[in-house]
Amino acid sequence: MSIQLTQQHLDEIRQHGERTFPEECGGLLLGVLEGETRVIHETLPLENIRKDSRHNRVEISPLDYAKAEREATKKGLGVWGYYHSHPNHPAIPSGFDLDHAPFIEWSYLIVSVREGTAQEIRAWTVREDRSQFDEEEIEMNHQGRGEA
Amino acid sequence: MPKIAIPTALRRYAGEQAFVTVEGTTIKDALASMTAQYPDLLKHLFDASGKLRSFVNVYVNDEDIRYQQQDDTLISEDDDIAIIPSIAGGAASEAELRAASAPDLSKEEIARYSRHLIMPEVGMEGQRKLKAASILLIGTGGLGSPLGLYLAAAGVGRLGLVDFDVVDHSNLQRQIIHGTKDVGRPKIESAKDRLNDINPYVQIDTHEFALRAENALDIVKDYDIVIDGTDNFQTRYLANDASVLLGKPNVYGSIFRFDGQASVFHPAAGGPCYRCLYPEPPPPGLVPSCAEGGVLGILPGIIGVIQATEAVKLIIGQGEPLIGRLLLFDALKMKFKELKLRKNPDCPLCGENATIKELIDYDQFCGITPPAPEVKTASADDWEITPTQLKARLERGDKLTIIDVREVHEWQICNLEHHGSTLIPLGEFPSRVSELNPDEEIVLQCKLGGRSAKAYNVLKEAGFTNILNLKGGIIAWADEVDATMAKY
Repeated sequence: MSIQLTQQHLDEIRQHGERTFPEECGGLLLGVLEGETRVIHETLPLENIRKDSRHNRVEISPLDYAKAEREATKKGLGVWGYYHSHPNHPAIPSGFDLDHAPFIEWSYLIVSVREGTAQEIRAWTVREDRSQFDEEEIEMNHQGRGEA
Repeated sequence: MPKIAIPTALRRYAGEQAFVTVEGTTIKDALASMTAQYPDLLKHLFDASGKLRSFVNVYVNDEDIRYQQQDDTLISEDDDIAIIPSIAGGAASEAELRAASAPDLSKEEIARYSRHLIMPEVGMEGQRKLKAASILLIGTGGLGSPLGLYLAAAGVGRLGLVDFDVVDHSNLQRQIIHGTKDVGRPKIESAKDRLNDINPYVQIDTHEFALRAENALDIVKDYDIVIDGTDNFQTRYLANDASVLLGKPNVYGSIFRFDGQASVFHPAAGGPCYRCLYPEPPPPGLVPSCAEGGVLGILPGIIGVIQATEAVKLIIGQGEPLIGRLLLFDALKMKFKELKLRKNPDCPLCGENATIKELIDYDQFCGITPPAPEVKTASADDWEITPTQLKARLERGDKLTIIDVREVHEWQICNLEHHGSTLIPLGEFPSRVSELNPDEEIVLQCKLGGRSAKAYNVLKEAGFTNILNLKGGIIAWADEVDATMAKY
């Protein structure tokens, strides 16, 4: 499996991470499945609803998720992944991330934000037995937003 | 018929549909109907025991069924039913990062921890987590002693000790980290020596000063877990607030006479904090300290070891922590009791609209006026008399009636009987005022001066005018004028 995004998507994720620094941010990735590739069409930045530990925890409102599904369906898209930031930590999934990854069918993007500046973005998937994350290849889509 | 919305990720197990039409009048029936049609959904939504997986939420009309009738929530045709994942993430905690990079155990450490290593719940992984962990112990007294001894022995990599006191003879009945040879030494030095002896693989960091609002965050931030082993409300609120503000667990314990209690306060993990349990401190003087009320020497051993157990469980991630539970122990009845602790939604510190964003003045919060700089023979206010002044007046032959308001068992340890003192315990005092002569000059005395101040007010209200309170009580008397007197 791989994930395909445009430079603009990566920029949007980085900008979101920088805006909320030193707190974590999170959002959803909307797109379509093309064979073995999750082709992302839109990023959807969402609010971190955690009240505490916002510097190293992020949570998405279930109602925001439901709304994202509805909006995506209208556009012929689906929710195929989730991104979040790791302020002052590497873009490597934590034990907490593994415990809280809902789907083995998703891509999980993590952006590392160091002292307010976004650095690397890495993509991960969860193994079928949920024992660990494996890194996934990020394919750059140079065709704009993927519309045919 | 009702329809259930399926998340994109799971549609491949539901015939590529966004909605599955189901039968039934409750959520339980509807889910059963859905998985009967699409059995592949089962293992993605339910765990091995048949319960919904922790990240699977079922919503009916934008409301979680957990807050309705759960499985039995009634549904009708018009309801919007949706399966919604919980989505959360987070960077690794400091402990996780360190555990990942923690050096392996040496051959000597493996030998030392072998009884841990052979248990799967700890094992090599758990022991490395312990080695990577750090705990701040506030106080090296009654609770801090067993805490330090067992946590060091267990192999917690770094222990921070906060204390500024000196070992006293009256500590030795319960503060087993210190020995008779340590009397007069700073507690922190004595504790460090003992812990290094128990386990040289543990790093001991010492902070020889009082934890205060000005330094607490700076100290606490470098530790994974805070354990409060102190005996005063200012430090208890301070430790709680600093832990909550920094998102660290605070392992709580307290002891008095024959009773103890313990809990783990950890709002970052969804639990309550100390302020949810006790929003405000009691008025100063209402709750006696162990110095005034006494404590069974063994009790801190029991409560401190419970705290140590909780800390180790938090580190290795095993078992059910005491989060949201208050454990009560009664040594006389030899009984444990457990109370459920709920998070206070209006808690000013960890509630939804928290107003406390930084540390405050805890002396003021607890109604304590900081003591004036201590001078050995400070002049007393006009309502008080210092031991030195009292001794001088007795030697001069002044006729003074000394009333001791302590309890009988305290009187038996030491008293001023040879100066003519009479025992009237504070509890009996109001009903025995008639025994006193308002024309005599009366000196009231207790252990430290607090209870006699209350007796002072009782006499004042009864119209007595010629009264004095012995400043610092019999302990100050022993310190200032009579070194032969037994102290307790």
